[in-house]
Amino acid sequence: MFGRNPKVMLLRAALWAALCVVVFKLLFIHIRVDGISMLPTCADQSIYWVSRLAYLRHEPQRGDVVAIRFVTPDDSISRMEPPHIVLLKRIIGLPGETVAFVNGRALINGEILDEPYETLDCNWNCAPVTLGPDQYYVVGDNRSMPQEDHVHGKCERNQIVGKARL
Amino acid sequence: MKMVFQLLLLAALIAAGVWLWTILFPSPENIIRKRLAQAASEASFKSGENPLASAARAETLAGFFSTNVELNINLPEHGLHNLAGRDEIIQAAAGARSMAGSLKVEFPDMSIRVGPDKSSAVADVVVQVQAAGNKEFYVQEMKFTLQKIGGDWLITRVETVRTLS
Repeated sequence: MFGRNPKVMLLRAALWAALCVVVFKLLFIHIRVDGISMLPTCADQSIYWVSRLAYLRHEPQRGDVVAIRFVTPDDSISRMEPPHIVLLKRIIGLPGETVAFVNGRALINGEILDEPYETLDCNWNCAPVTLGPDQYYVVGDNRSMPQEDHVHGKCERNQIVGKARL
Repeated sequence: MKMVFQLLLLAALIAAGVWLWTILFPSPENIIRKRLAQAASEASFKSGENPLASAARAETLAGFFSTNVELNINLPEHGLHNLAGRDEIIQAAAGARSMAGSLKVEFPDMSIRVGPDKSSAVADVVVQVQAAGNKEFYVQEMKFTLQKIGGDWLITRVETVRTLS
């Protein structure tokens, strides 16, 4: 069962286990979408991978679909631990910008944002919100749903877990 | 190879030692984490629960709260609900048991900050609720304020948090 050399076998098993923990818990996490707020980009019950390495070399970009943790981690160890529940949203506003919605169109610093992924009808109106130096404005792609039922708004940089690989 | 094996064994022993230490001498954060998980378990119930057992569990749930606890729950689809004191929690728990067939309450993610006095703490908690026969679950971010009273961490205040605000 353990081959000719059980010690080698155990060592290999330990190394594989460690590799799996690093890859599937620390570097990439898989998520299952529950809900319709990211339609039509992400269907309900679909599964995606989130890369936690995506923002090592650069900061999150406009248009990125990101996983966002609800609660800010309390220390550096829990920051490494992936959250069990995340929000999947698209970044539309970057730090320092002012974001608003007028007649369903997103405005960044007063300019209409070009959103090719936004194909559903929207009639939202939201007062301008100015982002802090470490804040991003995130929103789902399904803006045909009522504004009050759709979780969207400001998130802190340390709430962003990683970038979804669509 | 023998050296590598010995090193791995040593690492495993150290890890086991650290794990044992955290079990024997848990930090206030871990105690609160465990206590909140117990409260979530007591808030959950299955269909066909014995009425006496149900009443006892509602009493047990109330025991996780201080006598002067305040709950301010503001849910988008259910409006604002304010509860004060253990008696109202027992009534609410009994009401929930009569309305829903079964309920599963979990706190999958928590962030706990213990005050410098080591006798007060704030826990930001993700509350996940799944009702009977419902495949989907409801998720809500909440803030729990706790105080160490008589050696136990008791919940003194619960309020809903608006996510991404």
